[in-house]
Amino acid sequence: TATRAQSGLLEPAGSAGVAVLATGGVASSPGPGRPGPLQDETLGVASVPSQWRAVQGIREETKSCQTVSIATANASAQARNHVDAQVQTEAPVPVSVQPLSQYDVPRLAAFLRRVEAMVIRELNKNWQSHAFDGFEVNWTEQQQMVSCLYTLGYPPAQAQGLHVTGISWNSTGSVVACAYGRLDHGDWSTLKSFVCAWNVDRRGLSPRQPSAVVEVPSAVLCLAFHPTQPSHVAGGLYSGEVLVWDLSRPEDPLLWRTGLTDDTHTDPVSQVVWLPEPGHSHRFQVLSVATDGKVLLWRGVGAGQLQLTEGFALVMQQLPRSTKLKKHPRGETEVGATAVAFSSFDPRLFILGTEGGFPLKCSLAAGEAALTRMPSSVPLRAPAQLTFSPHGGPIYAVSCSPFHRNLFLSAGTDGHVHLYSMLQAPPLISLQLSLKYLFAVRWSPVRPLVFAAASGEGDVQLFDLQKSSQKPTVLIKQTQDESPVYCLEFNSQQTQLLAAGDAQGTVKVWQLSTEFTEQGPREAEDLDRLAAEVAT
Amino acid sequence: MNEWTNTDREPDPLPSSLPGPTAPGLGEPQAEVEETLKRIQSHKGVIGTMVVNAEGIPIRTTLDNSTTVQYAGLLHHLTMKAKSTVRDIDPQNDLTFLRIRSKKHEIMVAPDKEYLLIVIQNPCE
Repeated sequence: TATRAQSGLLEPAGSAGVAVLATGGVASSPGPGRPGPLQDETLGVASVPSQWRAVQGIREETKSCQTVSIATANASAQARNHVDAQVQTEAPVPVSVQPLSQYDVPRLAAFLRRVEAMVIRELNKNWQSHAFDGFEVNWTEQQQMVSCLYTLGYPPAQAQGLHVTGISWNSTGSVVACAYGRLDHGDWSTLKSFVCAWNVDRRGLSPRQPSAVVEVPSAVLCLAFHPTQPSHVAGGLYSGEVLVWDLSRPEDPLLWRTGLTDDTHTDPVSQVVWLPEPGHSHRFQVLSVATDGKVLLWRGVGAGQLQLTEGFALVMQQLPRSTKLKKHPRGETEVGATAVAFSSFDPRLFILGTEGGFPLKCSLAAGEAALTRMPSSVPLRAPAQLTFSPHGGPIYAVSCSPFHRNLFLSAGTDGHVHLYSMLQAPPLISLQLSLKYLFAVRWSPVRPLVFAAASGEGDVQLFDLQKSSQKPTVLIKQTQDESPVYCLEFNSQQTQLLAAGDAQGTVKVWQLSTEFTEQGPREAEDLDRLAAEVAT
Repeated sequence: MNEWTNTDREPDPLPSSLPGPTAPGLGEPQAEVEETLKRIQSHKGVIGTMVVNAEGIPIRTTLDNSTTVQYAGLLHHLTMKAKSTVRDIDPQNDLTFLRIRSKKHEIMVAPDKEYLLIVIQNPCE
């Protein structure tokens, strides 16, 4: 049909917008095969709407927007006034001697008259009373065993194979410092070593990370904290120098040094000790002893220099002879000093331990000049007053009793500990504690009859002379492989703590049982009795 | 006849042939103080004796100065506390003597309104 022919020309897809072909008539469209006159016709416009493209008309919509109203509020602030305040501890002022105040004599006499009878009566009753016999009160929790509280070490020092050669507690008893070095006297003088300190009272104590580390160019062989300044520590080096550090200044801890002058020791320093300056009880000097035979007293002067104030030299010829000493001195041989201990009762009296194995009683007040050719800016004097009977080998440690003015201990390479009285040359007691060397011996600061010794077999032995005078009361094994324990120190503020350092570079802080920290009722008298057993 | 004697006046002192505390002269009370303190100090086991005044300042002592100052200050406070404790419990009561027994020795305090006598004794065990 005709519509079908139309559909051949355009293809209406879907139902949208079918164009209408405006024609004059259906029959008038020219088609093939249809005869018709050739005439022009105008056809209408055919428009083909797009199926897929919509008319882009403009669509309008009215919208408006309005920001939410801004909430405002007024508030005022005022900086508070603040005041800066600082707290500084001061060294305790020495107790000044107060004169007794005036009083009214007759009234005092009347008072004494009133009370005398009553007081005498009470004194008598007390003397005869047995009411408190065997009555003991325990104020603190009883600790039955000795336990290891902390195991401290500094890994870089341990990696170098350094030993703990010196150990010290500070004046407040909360910081323990240790010195690293080597005690087997090899050629370690160029090895860097360390001084490390840990604060055991701090809660976040990390055993492998000391709270203060000082790098030292030479091996440190001994260490001593200042008696009143909690952060000052003195150390003696392998090179013979004596250095003082301030551990509270991490960026530049070195306070004073002796430097390498003519005055300095020519041998490794065995021990350093702080001494109060005569006349100024709150200033301190450092005393150092070394195996070159010199005992030197240093004072810190400005610009970080330690200056020699007094010096002593031990010369074999000048030692007081005792009948036990068979050696006949020839020439001016020096006697090496390996340990020093000051008496707690006479501040100028000290005991020196020597390489020859005999302790010497010495005094700072000695006046005789030393016969030595060693150069020194200060005249050297001979300090020895009495020579005691020797050990079988060099002495490594001496310690004076804090409770008795005449007793002291010495320990050495023969494995023996001798208890001497300063009044006589032979020892009162001689105990063999070890088959190897003994490196340290210390009296307990609270129990008059207790002392501790560190042995080459790796243990710390605690002796209680009240319990047994033959064998140790407690044997603490510090190292598992029997490497020696080189140093130990009691803590005089926290009396249950004992620190010991060994050849593996670890410091162990031991907590002692209560029997080692509380004084029994008659101990001081027992010690006196022991000292009075002077063998004649 | 009633004669009222004046009781305020002290009787005349005895002649000084008899030694006694009321004999005239300034030396006597001083000597008496010394003797009393010496008697107490020489008693069995006594380690130290001291007299402290009402403000806690020592006025006589047989021990060294620093120990004395320490004892005086501490024991003065303790005696005042003990006295107030006794009075608080019973206002009619009062402290007569204070004894502190420690491991090493016994401290005895005889209190008074003007002075304190402190004696430290090491009792026999």
